[in-house]
Amino acid sequence: MLSTGNDIVSLNAINITRSKQPGFYSKILCDTEKALYRESETALMPFENYVWLLWSIKESAYKYLQRIQPGLVFSPTKFVVKQLQIPFLYAITTFDVKETEGRGFDSNAVFKSTITFGAYTLYSRSLMYRELIVSVVNGDEDFENTGWGIKLINKSDPEYQSNAVRAFLVNRLNKLFHLDGLMIGKSMHGVPIVLKGDAEVGLSVSLSHHDKMVAYSFQFG
Amino acid sequence: MTRIEILNELKKVFAPYTTNKEMLSSINDSTDLIKDLKINSANLVDIIIDAENKYNIEIDFDAADKMINVGSCIDVIREKLNQKNVEYR
Repeated sequence: MLSTGNDIVSLNAINITRSKQPGFYSKILCDTEKALYRESETALMPFENYVWLLWSIKESAYKYLQRIQPGLVFSPTKFVVKQLQIPFLYAITTFDVKETEGRGFDSNAVFKSTITFGAYTLYSRSLMYRELIVSVVNGDEDFENTGWGIKLINKSDPEYQSNAVRAFLVNRLNKLFHLDGLMIGKSMHGVPIVLKGDAEVGLSVSLSHHDKMVAYSFQFG
Repeated sequence: MTRIEILNELKKVFAPYTTNKEMLSSINDSTDLIKDLKINSANLVDIIIDAENKYNIEIDFDAADKMINVGSCIDVIREKLNQKNVEYR
């Protein structure tokens, strides 16, 4: 079955001091991931960014698998980032637009990783700006059929975030598929689904929000 | 500590991470941290750390995995407090 998982972290909203405390990051990173930071060029990025990059990858992987394993519990240290490839000549930049959308990631300065969870091997693509980190996880290394979007919003209350990300995704889907009246609902297991009327459209989508930012991902069927 | 005492203290732990103050005042065992209190998943580790600091306990990975709703949070904290009391005897 097609699936996708995504996550967005507002770096404006994280507690930098706490993120660097072992008691905090040890609940997110396993020992091999701590070593991965020390041993690789990832040490060029601030440690708090590394912690939240891996958080976003793991949360995305959890969302990917939640569609396949309903009832799965998110346990960050059980999702293990095995490899992390940093963009060539990477330099962090400002997210200087209100919103951006894309298909695939080849044209972007993208972080690539491989994640394992039990018998599963998953793959991620992440974008990191000064203000935010966005990750998307797929079951294979080909992200050509992955649609994604990032948008800054005006408020951070949960209802506003929820409505904003749904409207953002529906607008993209309407433009792509020329289907009016699409809505985003939730399955009985709590994962987002696309509906036209009462009927479910066979499209895997994932939604996320944090602070005044929202993001989506979906798989072209 | 009784469950009621822990529940009242947990309201203070959750307060910085939820905007749903009305729901916070009436939480019970079945209140879900994400679905009902609208706590962002990125703050779940903060809640575990705050609970550890408040009760001077250590919440391991397996216990943290259970902290999905208020009732399971109370269960975990009571269990860890009991373990601490046994160790001190």
